[in-house]
Order: sequence, then structure tokens, then C-alpha cells
Amino acid sequence: MKKHFREFSVAAALAFVLLGLAIFAPAFFQPQPLLSLLTREAPTLLVACGMAFVIISRQIDISVGSQFAVCSVCVGLLAAKGWSLPLVFIASVSMGAIMGAFNGCLVAGLRLPSIVVTLATMVTWREALRWQRQGEFVNLPDGLQWLGLSQVMGQWTLILAALVLLALLALATKHLSAGRFVYAVGTDAEAARLAGIRPQLTTFSVFVFMGALVGLAAMMNVVQSPQVDPKSGSGLELKVIAAAVVGGVAVSGGRGKLWGVFFGLLLLACISPALTHLHIEAYWEKAIQGAIILLAVVADGLRTRKQRN
Amino acid sequence: MKKIISLIVVAGLAFVSGCGKSNSSSGGSSNVTGGKKITVALMPKSKGNAYFISCKKGADKAANELGVDLVFDGPTDPDPAKQNEIVENWITLGVDAIAVACENREGISTALRKAKAKGIKVVTYDADALPNARDFFVNQATPEGIGYGLMDEAARLCGNEGEFAIITASLTAANMIEWQKYIEAHRADKYPNMKMIALRPCDDMKDKAQSEATALLSANPNLKCIMAICSPAVPGSAEAIKQAGKIGKVKLLGLGLPNENKRYVHDGVTDSVILWKTEDLGYLAVFAADALAKGDLKPGDKTIKAGPLGELQIEGDSILLGKPFIFNKSNIDQFDF
Repeated sequence: MKKHFREFSVAAALAFVLLGLAIFAPAFFQPQPLLSLLTREAPTLLVACGMAFVIISRQIDISVGSQFAVCSVCVGLLAAKGWSLPLVFIASVSMGAIMGAFNGCLVAGLRLPSIVVTLATMVTWREALRWQRQGEFVNLPDGLQWLGLSQVMGQWTLILAALVLLALLALATKHLSAGRFVYAVGTDAEAARLAGIRPQLTTFSVFVFMGALVGLAAMMNVVQSPQVDPKSGSGLELKVIAAAVVGGVAVSGGRGKLWGVFFGLLLLACISPALTHLHIEAYWEKAIQGAIILLAVVADGLRTRKQRN
Repeated sequence: MKKIISLIVVAGLAFVSGCGKSNSSSGGSSNVTGGKKITVALMPKSKGNAYFISCKKGADKAANELGVDLVFDGPTDPDPAKQNEIVENWITLGVDAIAVACENREGISTALRKAKAKGIKVVTYDADALPNARDFFVNQATPEGIGYGLMDEAARLCGNEGEFAIITASLTAANMIEWQKYIEAHRADKYPNMKMIALRPCDDMKDKAQSEATALLSANPNLKCIMAICSPAVPGSAEAIKQAGKIGKVKLLGLGLPNENKRYVHDGVTDSVILWKTEDLGYLAVFAADALAKGDLKPGDKTIKAGPLGELQIEGDSILLGKPFIFNKSNIDQFDF
């Protein structure tokens, strides 16, 4: 309990918000809108998991939003060309992995700071897309939405897919050596190297994996509507970094649990619809989200100080 | 005598060009000033853009009717430097009038001023340059026109009463705050039984707009209408209404492009998409440029008679295209941008 205090406190905060909504705005708990909310957050959850790994390995990737947009538009264009669903799926994941590998090469290979590298790629991908699309939507062929299933079936498929992946990743971090490497490198790269881990290779892999998850998430997002917005994914990096930090991933690296990230994401995702349901003006949305993030970081700071003493 | 000569010239031109455009040559006596055909150069922000391709259609129509030579050129991608280069070329070429949709307000103004100094008439359309760099701005929509147009259409869809919500791009976007002011003023004035219950920002993204609309629909069971005042919010809200199974029960209107909304308009999710007719904008840009070059349009004029568009107001130095146009099921397929 004490070891997972951070994760439990986030879950408690979420429960508190939901309880408040149950009392003051019971309309929040209608099945359709709730299902819709969860479906919208399913792709974000995957990106947040990837971001958790990146932060745990003591790096950052702020280009995920742009990668997401590039993958989404590619998915749209390929699908419109008549590519079959599995092929589009593979293309999207590879596209993401390639962009991740690009970041990884620069960060791990040339040992450049990841914040600068991914800032550059964030702007580059985004502007390249603007230049290419001029903001124009991509219309998808009929039948792609909900993977050709009915709406409710499609929604459940996406939600379950995200949850299964979350569970697999959580198990992998615990039981696979690759998962442990990420924590080891994030805690102390030099000590990890002495223990026989190759920190640069680990970092590179983390970025590639991040990109692949973004590609997968983009695919899961595209199939939710009949058109692709080339601006999709703007601000995604902030959303997932916030989810990771609120969910208990230490910004200093080496610590974090994926199920904490899961609750962190849900907590932040609830704020906007909660305000709508409580008829509170939208001006508060970002302020409240900011306050939650600040609270999480302060809690982290206090804990590290206590450990040092 | 002069008139006869010009008639012969025009007839000759029509003969040489061999297109047999009898209507342009028959009404052609006014096309020719001093025996010289007027050349109007028209520039879009970028050539490949469907919006400007549609503007060009109207421009071609005007050129045909007025018998002016239309030169159409622009950057392949929105590029202010390339726009300047093209204006310089046109100055060398010695065109009579230039009509530009400016990518960068300040950036292009120097080149346009230079053109003006050489006696070339300059009109801007769609996006303005600095006022001293052009003679007139063809203004496709005023904030008042947009605000009133949205509110009138919302009231019509709702039967003049009921709750509606607005989805905007951001709470700080200056143009949208301006539109909201006119929406509210018009509501208070004309439709007191309509009630604005929520204003939500969508960060100019379709996905966020969908989430916002989903929450609005579930939080407000009496909601009758969603007004989406930034273009990604229209399809985003449409998807939310569709997924909530509230097609027809909740009306949707917004500012947007026909192509982004066709699917939802045909499905009956989106009722009205409001914008201006881009063809008319192109038509008016060429018409005004031609009128300026001929001296029919002068600074200080209060109105302009623009052929099929009728008599249009001029406010200061901007020519107003008039009320926005409403795209709906019956007409949206005629537009491709």
C-alpha cells in the first residue's frame, strides 16, 4: 500500500470526482456518452503508456502529437487508395516506428537532449503535414469506421484492445528483462551499463516503441470517424505527459506504474465533461487540469526530499 | 466614331480568338478603353487549394462577361515570397489591375505599393493587405453578417425557441469573440425565446469538438441546437450527434466548408453549413478590378453594381459581398471546395 501510495491516491481522486458527479450530475453516467468518452480516450491511453516508458527511461518525447497526425493522415490516404485494413494497420505502426527511430537515433546515437530533438521533429512533422494537406480533411471510404462493425461493437473492440494492451505492457514491465532495463537505465544509466545493459540501445528501443504505439493509436483513432483531421493530435504530447506525471511516473526517471497512468489519464479526461455536466464555464478546464498536474509534481518533489533525508 | 472602331476591334478580336463568344463581343464596347483590352491578374493564396479553384471559376465567368483578359497565377503552396515575385512579374508585364488574396499582410504590401505607383489598380480579396497598399478590399463577410446569419439560421431550425450551445475554436480567438457578440445581440433583439446555455472550446480540432458535443448532449437533455462556429467543430459535432443517436432531434449548423460536411448533410445530421459563395467572391474580385481599371469604380463610391450579384455596399474601402450563403441538402453538391 505504502509502496503504491501515489497510484492509489490518483485512483482515490478519480473515485472522488466520480462520486461528486454521481451526486451532483447523475446524467454523467449514461451508457452511450460514457462509452463514447472511453472510446475517445482508448488511443490516448496507448500513447500515454509509451510516454510513461520514455519518461521512466529519463527521456521525453514531445513529438508524439505530430507523429500521431502524420500517421493518421497516412492511414487516411492509404485507406482512400483502397489498401486493405491489415495493410493500413501495418503501414501506420511502421510509419510511427520509423519516426520514433529517427528520434531514437538522434537521442541515443548522437546523445542529444531528447527535449530539443523531439521539439525539432514535432515542429517539422507538423509543418510538413500543413504544407502537404493545407488543412484539408481526408475523407475515408465507407466501411472503415468502426472497422466495419456496428458502432457499439466497434467501441467495445477499441476499448478492450486498449485495455488488453495495457495489461500486457504492465506484465511485460514486471516480468520481461527488457522492461526492467528501461527502469534500470532511467534510475542510473551508468550503473545499468556496469550491470551489462546497453543504455543507448535501450533508449533507442524506447523511442521506436513509442513511435509504434503512436502509429497504433492513430489507427485506433482514425477508425472512429469517417474523416481524418490533419490537425488531430495537437496537444496530445501535453495530455499524455500530464497523464503519466499525474499517474505517478517520476519526471526524474526510474519510477512509475502503467496502471497509475491509466487512472491519471481517466482523471484528466473526466474534467472537461464533468465541467459541462456541472454547468461550469470552460475557462476553468485548463486551470483545474493544471492544478492537478502541479499537485502531482509537488507530491513527487516532497517524496524525493523525504527519501534524501 | 470611336465606338465604331472599338466595335470593329472587338469583333476582330472575337474572330481571331475563334471562340465565337458572341455575348462578350456584342456587349463589348465598354470593355475597351482606348482600344486596349483590359488585363486583370488574379492571385490565390495557393493554386492547388480547392477553395481558390472555386474562386477562379467565378473569376473566369466575370472575365468572360466583361471581356477582360484574365491572368491567373500564384504559388503552388502558400508562400508570401513567391507571391511577391509574381506581383513583380506582373508589374513588368504591365497588367491593368491586380487582385490578390494575401498570404502575409505586411509581406506583400511593399510589392503592391510598387504596383500602385506604376498606375496598376490593386484589389485584395479573401485576405487583405495593408490599406495603403491597395485600392479596395473585397470583403467576403463582416462579423455582423456572420453573427446575424448564424443566429437567424439557428432560430429558423429551432422554430424560434429553445436552448442552444456554441462550440468555438478557443475562448480567446478574437474573430470568434466578435461573432459571438453579434450572435448574442441579434438573439436578445430578435429571438428572446432562444437561450444560449453553454460555450465550449474545441481547440480548433475535430476530435475535441466531438468530445465536447458528446458531453453537451448528455448534460443538456433539452438542447435543441448546436452552433459550431469554427470549421472542424461542424463535422466533429455531427459525429457526436450521430453516435448519440440524436439525428434530427438536435439541429446542427456551423461555419465550414461544403466538402468537409457533405456526408453529414446528406445523412441529415448537419442541417446548414454557412459560408460565402466562393465563386461570387472570385467574380466580384475580377469585376471590381476591371471597374477600377476602367474608372467606373472610384474611392469614395458607396455602392457598386456587380452584374448578377446586384448592387453591393461599399463600406469605406471594402466592398461587401453581402450576406453569407447557406449550404444545405438541396444545394451542397453543387460546390466542390
